[in-house]
Formats: sequence, C-alpha cells, structure tokens
Amino acid sequence: MVQIRDLTKVYGHGEIEVVALDHVGLDIAAGEFLALMGPSGSGKSTLLHILAGIDRPTSGQCLVQGTNVAELSETDLADWRNTHVGFVFQTFNLIPVLTAFENVELPLLLTALSAGERREHVTAALELVGLADRMKHLPRQLSGGQEQRVAIARALVTDPTLLVADEPTGNLDAHAAADVLGLLQRLNQEAAKTVIMVTHDPKAAAYARRIVHLEKGELLNEEGQTQRNLSMGFAK
Amino acid sequence: MTISGFIVRNAFRNKRRLALTVLSVAVSLFLFTTLQTALHLMTNPPTSDQSALRIVTRHRVSLANVLPEKYQLRIERLPGVQYCSKFTWFGGIYKDPSFSNFGQFAVDADRIFKIFPEMVVAPQEEADFIKEKSSCVVGGKLMERFGWKIGDKVTLLGSIWPCNPELTIRGVYHAHNVDETIMFFHHDYFNELMNDRGLVGTFWIKAASAEVIPDLIARIDAAFRNTDAETKTETERSFQLTFISMLGNVKLFLGAISTVIVFTMLLVTASTMSMAIRERAREMAILKALGFNGLDVFGLILAESFGLAMTGGLIGCFGTKYLFAHVDIYKLSHGNIPLFPVSGDTLALGLVVAAVLGLVSSLAPAYTSIKMSVVEGLQELD
Repeated sequence: MVQIRDLTKVYGHGEIEVVALDHVGLDIAAGEFLALMGPSGSGKSTLLHILAGIDRPTSGQCLVQGTNVAELSETDLADWRNTHVGFVFQTFNLIPVLTAFENVELPLLLTALSAGERREHVTAALELVGLADRMKHLPRQLSGGQEQRVAIARALVTDPTLLVADEPTGNLDAHAAADVLGLLQRLNQEAAKTVIMVTHDPKAAAYARRIVHLEKGELLNEEGQTQRNLSMGFAK
Repeated sequence: MTISGFIVRNAFRNKRRLALTVLSVAVSLFLFTTLQTALHLMTNPPTSDQSALRIVTRHRVSLANVLPEKYQLRIERLPGVQYCSKFTWFGGIYKDPSFSNFGQFAVDADRIFKIFPEMVVAPQEEADFIKEKSSCVVGGKLMERFGWKIGDKVTLLGSIWPCNPELTIRGVYHAHNVDETIMFFHHDYFNELMNDRGLVGTFWIKAASAEVIPDLIARIDAAFRNTDAETKTETERSFQLTFISMLGNVKLFLGAISTVIVFTMLLVTASTMSMAIRERAREMAILKALGFNGLDVFGLILAESFGLAMTGGLIGCFGTKYLFAHVDIYKLSHGNIPLFPVSGDTLALGLVVAAVLGLVSSLAPAYTSIKMSVVEGLQELD
C-alpha cells in the first residue's frame, strides 16, 4: 500500500541544513499496524507527515496506493488527504467551538454527502469509538481520552486508506492511553484499517504489529544498524 | 452543520471582541454615513419635480446687487413664462440674532405658492395672506420652533434693509422633503417700508415646460443686456449650487474626514481579523490536514471578515437612517439644519464601504494563512 523510496527531507539552507530524513526506504502493507519509534529529532514525525501528505520531501518517492504524494499539487493534495488520510494528533486538535458531532462531521463538509448521510456516518463513527452519548458535548466538556476518541472518530469518518497517529497517547494518562491504543488496535484488526503510529513509548508501540525504528533520519534494522552503517560495513 | 454555520461559530468564539469590533465598525459607519449625508445635502440640495421648472434671475455681478422692480413686467411678457415673483432676502433679526437663522423673503403673495406648489398652504389661509399686505406665511417647523400660532404678530428688525416689518401670521405651509423653515411676506409691503424704491433681490420664474427653459434663460438675459443692471438667469439647481460653491473647502474637509474614518476602520478590522486568525493558526492547519485547501480556508476567513464588517455596516448605516428619521434634527440643531434625510444612495455607499472593508481587511491574514504549511501551523503553540 505504501512504498517509500530513497526519501530525503532537508530543512534549512546552506550552512544550517538539517537532514531530517536521509534516503529512507520503507514498505507498508495494507492492513498493517506500524509503529514508528525513535528518539526526539529522529525524523519519525517528518516521515509520518510526508506519507500523510502534509509535508513534502526534498527528494525521493512516497507512493500511496500507486500515487506519488510528493507530485500532487496543493489542491489535489488537500483532496487526497480528505479521501485517503485520517489524522490523530497528540493534542487532539478538536475545534473548540464545535460539538463532538460537528467536529467529526467537519471533513464530510467537503464531500458531496447530504446532511442525512453525513449524520449517519458521524453517528456510526462516534458509536464505533463509544461516544454516541457525547455527541452534543463541546471538547471542553470531555476528558482527554474522550477528546482523543472523538479525534479518532473524525479520522475514521471519511473511511480513509490510512489512519496516521502522531503520539496519540502523549497527552493521556495510562488508563486513557490504553483505551485509545486498544481502539486503534481494534480498528486495525476488526476493520482492517492501515494504522501508522508515531510513538516513543514502547508500551504504546507494543500494540502495533510491526515496529520500525528511526535514528538521525535513518531507518534501523532489527540489529539496530542504519542502512548507511550496513553499507559502510560492506565496504570494509 | 453547514460551512456557513461553521463560519458563524468561529465568529462568535470571542463574543466580547466580536461585539467591540462590530460596534467600532458600526460607529465608524454611522459617522461616515452622517458625513456623507451632510456632503450630499450640500452638493445636492433637496429638489422636487417642480424645481425642474423654476429659474432664477439675479444681478449679473452678484447676489448682493439688486434689480429694478420694473424688470418683472418684461420677464412676464416673454413666451414660456408661467409665473414670475419678486423674491428678496430680508435677513432680519427676530428678537435675538441667535434666533434669526431662518429665511425671510419678500415675495408676490399671489404667485409664490403657484411657483412653489410643493409648499402646501390651506386655501383660506392663502387667501387671507394675499388679502392682507402686512401678513406672512410661515413654514410648519418654524411655527413649531417658536410656538407661533395663526394671528400672532412678528416683528423683524432689518439688519440689511433699513426697515422693520411688523407681520401677522395668516398661514402655515407644509412640505415633504422641502425646507419648512421659511417666512414669506408681501414684497409690496417691503417696498412700501423702503419708500417705494422698487428694489428686488431676485426674480423666481416658473416656466411653462422644461423644454422652454434654455431659450427662456437666454431671452431674459438678452432683454436686459447693456442696461445698468444686467441679469444672470439660471436654473434653480444651478442657483443653489452657487451657494454651495461659497462653502469652499468644506466639501474637501468632509471628504477627508470620511477617508480617515474608512482608513481607521480598515486598520481596526484588519487588526481584529489578524488577531483572530493568528489565534487560530493551528486550527487552520487542522482544517488543511482534514482536506480543506487554501481557497477553502481563504473563503472561511473572507466570509467571517465580510460578515463582521457587514453586520457593523448594517447597524451603522440603518442606525443612522433610523436615528435621523426619528430625531427632530431641526430642533436639535437649533434651527440650523432644517432637513437631514439619509438617502438610499448614501446607505448603499456605506454598505459598499463596509463590504470592501470586510474583504480588504481579510486579505493579509488570509494570505498568511494560505501560505502557512500544515506542519508550520501544527507547530504553533506546541
């Protein structure tokens, strides 16, 4: 489903260049639950942003279902995100003036669905995350865990190809974090959703089927070596 | 929820700021509309259908110079003249100079209301006025201002002319959208007090039709060419604009204040919108992440700013209209402003200003928001 080839991302120019991703290659199959792990500054969020189409690589390819995301125009990329990507952020990022229902409905406003159809989709998504009884609540009237579940419902409501989660439990207590991770796992196992999650928490990563480590912008293999170290070893 | 509902929710998220911004736009538009109305009244004096048929003959040199009374007979004989009345500004003092800011004119009693049919006086009162040489007819607002009633005696002290007419009020005229603060009295009486010197300020003529006016103007002025008192004849509107030109730079002054008001409004609204959008930079990034493209986000910001400015504009413009329709501006201005009608054109101009304001003030924050990448936006406040 996702093929990342020779992906590089460099921030800044000239002497203050920072290489966030350095010739990264990765394949993600449909229906996977992948955890991207690594220390701060390792490039895991950058990689997630590029494959979710909210950032562009400096070079390389990022193919999602055959579409090179990096080559889409801004407008096409926005449409593509609406159709193919569901986001879950660390800080929930719900719109504070909208109710849970309206927050979940927001991405559907860009579709051709009627108000009735939108209502059905939103209700189903909120039921799926167990918050059908909190539809009319504003974000400030919900707990952190509930807010994150609303965010998951919003990510799911368009039935996207990818569900990307950037540190989804970073702002939650252990109990709420377990709830959210369990929900992501259920969505992966029962609804066959492809989930890509960035985390630095090994407990959270344990919910994933596969864990990939990044360090200084490079992927590590199972022995903890980067691809560059490996090639240098071969050269010796 | 709809997109418009979402825009409204966003606009109402900070109610105090919303109220203050709408209020500032409304107050500014109130000032703008008021100034524009004043400007409009100065440059476009109230006219009626009848005014298109009226022409004025005065001394060619200036209004301060007088014409001989005998000109009236020659004017009346010209083809196309329906009525002609002497019309001399008296400019007297009633009790106190500060009370005397109303027009007092010596006229031909039997013709004046034929030349000005929009000034309606009861037939019996008009007959009484015509019959009694020392009588006068007064506008309804003036009657109200001084608490006069029919039969009251009014003495004017001449400040320009050396005579003091002692007048009896015999009639009241009423008019819609025409000055109701004028006093008319007999020119014959004025002439008598002036020892029959036969001096006239202007002649007001009602033409038989609008088509004859250009020819009539030329004929009148030709009739008195090479005399001691050559004439200048012009349409009523042109005559009124002569007074306006005497105001000099007042027009420029009012225009400048209006411009400053609009510019200040622009800064206030742009500042508010910038603050509102900067606070929501992260949310804009979320919207983009969810699939809203740059134009969608631009539309949301534009609509919010436009709505805010138009709400203020509607309150300001129609508030002005309502206020001046229900406040006695004549009494409030101590007789200095007889009428202050806020025209449809002025309201439309005010609303156009509000609309442009809403659009222009949103451009900078909308542009910033469009240019900001999703990742940059998500990092805001992180």
